[in-house]
Amino acid sequence: MSKQLFNKSDLPKKVFLSGADCFHLVLDKHAKKHGAGGNVMRKIFYFDRSLSFNKINSILSGSPVIYWLCNIKLVSGRFFGLPYWKYVDAGNQIVLQEHRSSIESDIPAVILKRDITVDSTRFIEADLVYYPSGRCAFVISWNHILLDAKGTTLLFEHLNQISEKKNQDPGIYFPGKEKRPAILSYIRNMYQVKKFVQVSARPPVSSVATTATKSGDGATRTKIISFTLDQTKKINDNAFTCGSRFGPTLYLVACCSHVVHFLNQQRNRAGDLWIPVPYDGRLRGAIGPLISNCVSFLFYRIPKAELIDLPQTVACLRTQMTAQIKEGIPQQYTMFLNMMRYAPLWLYYFLIYHTNKGVFASFLYTSTGDNFNELNSLFGEPIRNLHMIPALTFPPGLTFVFLKHDEVLHLNITYSPEIISDNELLLIEEKINQTLLANH
Amino acid sequence: MDSNIIVEEIKKYIQQNILAETVQIDANSNLKQAGIDSFSTVEIILFIERKFGVSIPDEKLLPENFKTLQSLATIVQELMPEAPNT
Repeated sequence: MSKQLFNKSDLPKKVFLSGADCFHLVLDKHAKKHGAGGNVMRKIFYFDRSLSFNKINSILSGSPVIYWLCNIKLVSGRFFGLPYWKYVDAGNQIVLQEHRSSIESDIPAVILKRDITVDSTRFIEADLVYYPSGRCAFVISWNHILLDAKGTTLLFEHLNQISEKKNQDPGIYFPGKEKRPAILSYIRNMYQVKKFVQVSARPPVSSVATTATKSGDGATRTKIISFTLDQTKKINDNAFTCGSRFGPTLYLVACCSHVVHFLNQQRNRAGDLWIPVPYDGRLRGAIGPLISNCVSFLFYRIPKAELIDLPQTVACLRTQMTAQIKEGIPQQYTMFLNMMRYAPLWLYYFLIYHTNKGVFASFLYTSTGDNFNELNSLFGEPIRNLHMIPALTFPPGLTFVFLKHDEVLHLNITYSPEIISDNELLLIEEKINQTLLANH
Repeated sequence: MDSNIIVEEIKKYIQQNILAETVQIDANSNLKQAGIDSFSTVEIILFIERKFGVSIPDEKLLPENFKTLQSLATIVQELMPEAPNT
């Protein structure tokens, strides 16, 4: 489709949920059941200057994608039909709220505690926080069922295009018509993936959380560690030295695993770890779709015996990554998730919850890769810094998020205080710094 | 095997399986800038090993060897057994 002016008349009336979207519906149900802070993602942009409320409001209100996100309703699948988003065009506009904080860089609790559920009127919210220094922060929050990390990068590119009054291609924002494989391929994949995941996640697996632990007030806490340019370089060099040859991902996963293993040892609960690591299912360099989760997973099981030194752990991860890519596990898992969409939500939840005995993973790891590294400006203003606060899946109740911006690495440790105590957080902070920056 | 043939084979694989239609590459394009990440690099290694019957040893797994299609073709040429003289 050629580039043209994108407007509300281009908005689709009906968008089916992807397999990964439906998995998030299950997580949403899980979050509700455990009162664990909801399935809300947040991205925070810090600016050196105060942004004009009216200007930002006008850009956000001018986005057909944001309008769509404020005017949809979830229609659950009936009789093994697929769930979908129905565009209701109720005239809801995004609500941009203004806040003032006397503490520099602080994000008011009212923003961090605001839940966006499948029953909400709007699936996206925006806030501006002004500081006495004249600086400000722009916070965008959305329900994870609708957008994944790459989708948000595309959303910000879309907002930048609106801000620059550039024409856009309406064909790229929403998922296209799905290619449905033959039913036999589906059944074969379901069997293979189920077998693979069952073997990979077989008990005993050590998690930072136990199934019996429940969150109290659903509070989610975050600790952000920002590395310097030199430290980022050192981490990349360490990754290479330890055998993570094509980017630092395996090294970062290995370092987090060592920290969690150390924590489990302190609690006398050390064992094998099992970690699903997200894998972007879009073709590389793709500029769409923006809406829907296109994520699959690679699943790593790290035996306790492989958690002694980092090169050994990286080698263990590398062997598993290569084997899974060779077997096409991420693609098979996508097909598995797509097939699971036909199951009623209660059955889906029952299967997921009981297969893993309520433990989704030992801990969670995610990285935005280079997605935000070169995002230097938003709304025509240079970005000083940016952070991402993920939806905290509970259990396990501990997520490590790595984000690279302007060549500098940031680590966000998001956790539930019921799982990680204040002392344990200090221990995690100290240990992750030591591990990432060790001399190899 | 001629370097251009190797470049074309790898390019065809990448364009059909890894990159979005809108992304065009040639022999000297920077693959990382085109969107190739660590997972895709593993896919490319597996393709090369399958297609050309070579095994890429650890010491060749250097970022500079995976920078462009041309540098990949050079590695493949180095690893391929020489054709016997007839």
